[in-house]
Amino acid sequence: MASKDLGIEQYRRRQRFWNVVESPYVVHLVLFLSVFFIVGPLAWELLTSFKTNQAVYNLTYLPREPTLESYYIALFDRGFWRAVVNSIIIASASTVAVMILGTPAGYVFSRYRFPFDNLVFTFVLFTRLFPPIGLVVPYYRIMRFFGILNTRTGIVIAYVYLWLPLVIYIMRNFFITIPQELDEAARVDGCTKIQAFRHVVFPVVLPGFAAGTILTFLYSWREFLFAFTVSTDLSSMTIPVATYLFVGDTSIQWASMAAAAVVATIPSALVVFFFQRYIVVGLTGGLKR
Amino acid sequence: MSDTTPQTTLDESADVDDRDVSLRLEDVTKTFEDGGGEVVAVDSVSMDIRDGEFVVLVGPSGCGKTTTLRMIAGLEDPTEGRVVIHGEDVLGQEPRERNVAMVFQNYALYPHKTVRENLAFPLAIRKYPKEERASRVQEVAELLDIAELLDRRPGDLSGGQQQRVALGRAIIRDPEVFLFDEPLSNLDAKLRIEMRTELNKLHARVGKTSVYVTHDQEEAMTLSDRVAVMNDGKLQQIAPPQTVYERPANLFVEGEAVRATRAVLQTLGERLQAGDATDLVFGVRPEDVTDTTVVDESFPPETTFDAYVTVVEPIGANKDLTLAPSESAPEDEEFTVRVDANSTAQPGDTVTFAVDMSKAHLFDRATGENLTL
Repeated sequence: MASKDLGIEQYRRRQRFWNVVESPYVVHLVLFLSVFFIVGPLAWELLTSFKTNQAVYNLTYLPREPTLESYYIALFDRGFWRAVVNSIIIASASTVAVMILGTPAGYVFSRYRFPFDNLVFTFVLFTRLFPPIGLVVPYYRIMRFFGILNTRTGIVIAYVYLWLPLVIYIMRNFFITIPQELDEAARVDGCTKIQAFRHVVFPVVLPGFAAGTILTFLYSWREFLFAFTVSTDLSSMTIPVATYLFVGDTSIQWASMAAAAVVATIPSALVVFFFQRYIVVGLTGGLKR
Repeated sequence: MSDTTPQTTLDESADVDDRDVSLRLEDVTKTFEDGGGEVVAVDSVSMDIRDGEFVVLVGPSGCGKTTTLRMIAGLEDPTEGRVVIHGEDVLGQEPRERNVAMVFQNYALYPHKTVRENLAFPLAIRKYPKEERASRVQEVAELLDIAELLDRRPGDLSGGQQQRVALGRAIIRDPEVFLFDEPLSNLDAKLRIEMRTELNKLHARVGKTSVYVTHDQEEAMTLSDRVAVMNDGKLQQIAPPQTVYERPANLFVEGEAVRATRAVLQTLGERLQAGDATDLVFGVRPEDVTDTTVVDESFPPETTFDAYVTVVEPIGANKDLTLAPSESAPEDEEFTVRVDANSTAQPGDTVTFAVDMSKAHLFDRATGENLTL
């Protein structure tokens, strides 16, 4: 009897503990800390970008005399507006290439049986498992062999190589969620296989396609390592690489770097803001039906 | 008769005039590769289907009925044999070239298109003129009573409504042959019976050659002009439903296809057969058994047997009794009979039953063949 009462007492104590843990105060505290860790650096970056390179060392949080000088230095004195243009061109081109190649590939992997199909698919995924740093040197040598170092083409090829397996995988998973009867119904209704894809399967998978496109664009936009390896001058340099150039041998130009970083962040932020629905769909790999 | 090709003698349409044949299967065989081994899904199936005929392929899952249908549609290629539609060998033709329409189990409506666009799709892809598309959509929508749904999308429709749209998309092009792949199996019981009736009416109006796949024997019986019973990839019997019911070609047709009991009443069988009883199986339909205690009639003793009642299920006009040869008999020897509703049998009783011998059949135990035909 006594042990039973003790058990109940223990149960109640545990209940009180979890009631506190699950209370709104604790939840909000956790949320606040999470947001602080994410937003804090961004806020610092934004505030710093409105200072001058000298004012950074004044150790105030808010800029005393807010100025766009750092932006001017980054974009025009150093000519990094060209890096922004490069980034836009490279990210767009590699996204288009990856989606044009990856969508049909994902469809084929989702629908057709062919010799060694699983092996090929495993191999596609396998290429994603290497740490990119291990591939940079051979990649550099290949690019040099073809004479496309310091070209946008060289970086686009790198990005196609980097993101294509991912997009094939994402698109295959989307296509798998679409019942094969849809293709078959379309073919009985009068479509060729390609028409069935164009008129029926592709429109249905469109949200997934949008997700793949946005993710590829974001990944290409922010990629650093390969862009840094392939390009050393402004004819092909991307904005993340340009931002890094403010780290000099003897000093770091914090304010200009912050300004460049803000410029690099804005497109990503806009894409995330307007297309978050598709990004969630893409990351979770499923279409709601 | 060789048991590899029972259908040659069991197809009662063998004498059909060639000109009437809308769809012909000739020794159609399909084998699949399965992890190194070969699986025979459809084993040299032959049948002639007359113009306007409604044939139902019935059998348990995995019997090859859906594969047969898909080979007619062109979604699968037969490993051997020929598929002939209106005199033309269609092997190697794409589905779109075959002038068939198909209704799928999950309806396969195009979710991004409205009902109107779904219905018009087979016409649009074939570049029919706009006015004709519109008038045909209207016609079909009225025929199927879905005119008020035309601007909705499939996701907003109930199962029954989706079913109608799928039917509409099939009939709009006026194809040579309709193919149905278990179209009613996703509906609830009440709707299924309603749609079954509608399908019957629709077939009466449209009158097109139809091949319909189902595992539901009742559906097979009610819809078909002829039932084709399949098992293990082989055609067991193709005949009008009443014939299949009254004169099953073999033990499988009797046992599986028309929901008869495999009342293997060994003692009764032994009495009838004298001698080689172990080679034979005695079969009788549940409703051809009478509870002798409630009928004021005397039965010849060789037609009666005693059985132990385990379950009584009143179903209105009748009672279904689950019987066992004896109280201690294992469950797999149990069988069901359907007796008059005024039967007073209770679980635990041992009751004397009589069999209508004119409707009983004897089957070869080894081949399953019906020897009493």
